[in-house]
Amino acid sequence: MEEIKKTSKAKLVASALIPIVALGLMIAYIFGPGSSFLGFGVSLPEITIEKIEFLDSKIIAIIRNTGHVDVEVAQADVNDRIQPAAIEPDKSLNRFETAKVIIPFEWNEKEPYKIGLTLSDGTRFSKSAIAVQVPEPSFELVSYFAIIGTYVGIIPVLIGLLWFPFIAKMSKNKYKFFLALTAGLLLFLGIDAIKEGLEISTKSLAGAFNGQLLVATIVVVSFLGLYYSSEKLISRTTLSITKPVAIGLMIAIGIGLHNLGEGLAIGAAVGLGEIALSTFLIVGFAIHNTTEGLAIAAPMAKGKPLIGKLVMMGMIAGTPAIFGAWIGGFVYSPFAAVVFLSIGAGAIFQVVVSIINWIRQDEEKTFSAMSVVSGFSVGMLIMYLTSIFV
Amino acid sequence: MHLVKTMKGKMLLALIAGSFVAVIYFSLPILNIDATKEPKTFLTHSGAVIQTTGEVLDPVGYSGEPLEFDPDKYLREFNYGRVSKLSDGTTLREFTIIAEDDKIMEISPGIFYNVWTFNGTVPGPTIRATEGDLVRVHFINNGQKPHTIHFHGIHKAEMDGVFESVGQGGGQFTYEFTAGPVGVHPYHCHVMPLEEHISHGLYGIYIVDPKEGRPPADEMVMVLNGFDTDFDAENNFYAVNTIPFYYQHHPIQINTNELIRVYVVNILEFDQINNLHLHGNLFNYYPAGTSTIPSMYTDVVTFSQGDRGIMEFKYQYPGKYLFHAHKTEFAEKGWTGIFLAKDSENTTQYGEK
Repeated sequence: MEEIKKTSKAKLVASALIPIVALGLMIAYIFGPGSSFLGFGVSLPEITIEKIEFLDSKIIAIIRNTGHVDVEVAQADVNDRIQPAAIEPDKSLNRFETAKVIIPFEWNEKEPYKIGLTLSDGTRFSKSAIAVQVPEPSFELVSYFAIIGTYVGIIPVLIGLLWFPFIAKMSKNKYKFFLALTAGLLLFLGIDAIKEGLEISTKSLAGAFNGQLLVATIVVVSFLGLYYSSEKLISRTTLSITKPVAIGLMIAIGIGLHNLGEGLAIGAAVGLGEIALSTFLIVGFAIHNTTEGLAIAAPMAKGKPLIGKLVMMGMIAGTPAIFGAWIGGFVYSPFAAVVFLSIGAGAIFQVVVSIINWIRQDEEKTFSAMSVVSGFSVGMLIMYLTSIFV
Repeated sequence: MHLVKTMKGKMLLALIAGSFVAVIYFSLPILNIDATKEPKTFLTHSGAVIQTTGEVLDPVGYSGEPLEFDPDKYLREFNYGRVSKLSDGTTLREFTIIAEDDKIMEISPGIFYNVWTFNGTVPGPTIRATEGDLVRVHFINNGQKPHTIHFHGIHKAEMDGVFESVGQGGGQFTYEFTAGPVGVHPYHCHVMPLEEHISHGLYGIYIVDPKEGRPPADEMVMVLNGFDTDFDAENNFYAVNTIPFYYQHHPIQINTNELIRVYVVNILEFDQINNLHLHGNLFNYYPAGTSTIPSMYTDVVTFSQGDRGIMEFKYQYPGKYLFHAHKTEFAEKGWTGIFLAKDSENTTQYGEK
């Protein structure tokens, strides 16, 4: 019996490996010595300038070889004027390899500069940026980002939670309206995160990364991953965590991931000097995010008022904005931003599905009631209107 | 059951770890800089100081091999041809010019460009004759495209190098005309698309001296040109005599109080105008070099495409004097040079033929 099991297992492994071996042989044949039949066609070199920083008397550009061939960087220019520069670690970039170009340059605050790099075959790649001194990582900046994160993430969410008693006292129908409203709010946030992710992919991510597909892949994977874990969490609920609390927790996590993305965007914008964070903008984010507190409060409103748990969830949802601002401000990368935003979108869609299930379970499995439809629509409308302030 | 569970756990862990590593790799770019390396210090031509553990992207320094094209040699090299006398006493000057279009040349440090050449260089050889000489140019096209030579000057229609395209792979044509009028003229390929053939490098200078000659001087030629290396119909590099920043790095040595005569031709493609500004001095300018009376005494002269002329000046004080396009964009993309004037007894070093 054991014997049979073993041989069948070996057969299974072999049958899995055979196609891989065959593929390997084919690739070896194509690229191997003496094979020249794939030598036609032209591969054009391509580099992407991923980031431009303005430091004291110099401009730094982070570049990546995003083409299909190895390249050699030959010269640098600022506004199309050739400048001596340094490149670290060296001029030759293999596929996907990155390098740091340092151009000594006395730039003027707030003026736009176009940084160009010419490769050995004479092709030039460029990217523009507004000159703003990159803030050096300092205690002040760390606390500044923390304060922004608090204003944008934590405080609005906690304010939103104050709707808890209001929702707790309403009739079942009205409560359903608010649950649907929450789902509407979240759906909007998820779509917003995808939009943001796609925007960054088009603007800053090299074509080689297939930004749009990266967004799609991560949204789906994070949705499935969180769906799986939330089902596990809910099915394992003991007395201490009731189902509404579990759903509230999942919403808080989803919103937290979303706020991480939001903080990332704010931190990066400040760090790269793209926007000055005006008080107006902070107010806009605050109004926008207050609705997120409502989303957490709604599913828990029919249970016992658990002040401690509510505050904790508020923190779970809000604090990631601070971390996001730190990451975005100090080690921004468009790739990371796209990844975080997509995870956030997947998380939020998972929460939307949970809420929809919750509503259906609660009320004779119908989803077409007037209160639900209008709640959903009003939720999206509120988000759209408050988004105008941001 | 237990096995399945751990398998699943392992897979999940591997998945998470794998994604994490991928995100870090693509997000945090600089992982391979050796922090223990001692930084080198480098002084740039613009005066800035660079400290780096990496390499320097230096727009003037050519590392390693000598240049394929020597701007110092080209500057003062005149070709008078194979000289013989015809029965009526006319001087015959014969030249052979071979066109090629497959050469790759380092036209600026680290930048390799497919130049199309007359006799292997951009610009082609400077051809020089005296007014009234019979000029015979044996043209061989060893390129992969049809080419011609179109000389500016006075000649018969069939010698104009426009309608008689010379086939690739060894096609031949002999251009024959009487040298004239006196002056400095360009010659270039005239096959369509013209812009492509000229911007790749098929041009040169043709000088016709007056019979009575010009006063002795240190004579030189300057071709104002450029290269569009990424084919976007805008020049990436500008230069006097092909190599950007060359004479800034290797100043042209001249003597004080000696007459300097520069034959200037603007062959630049894509840009509407080009100009030349001389520092610490003014010069007499003779448009196209056709008159012996200067049209102006100035320190800036403006050229449209194909414009050319002769500049004459003397430096009184020794030292370094810049000359460059006063269209500063061009100057900062390579069209900048320096005259280094020295006090010297030997004032006829170059003044003789």
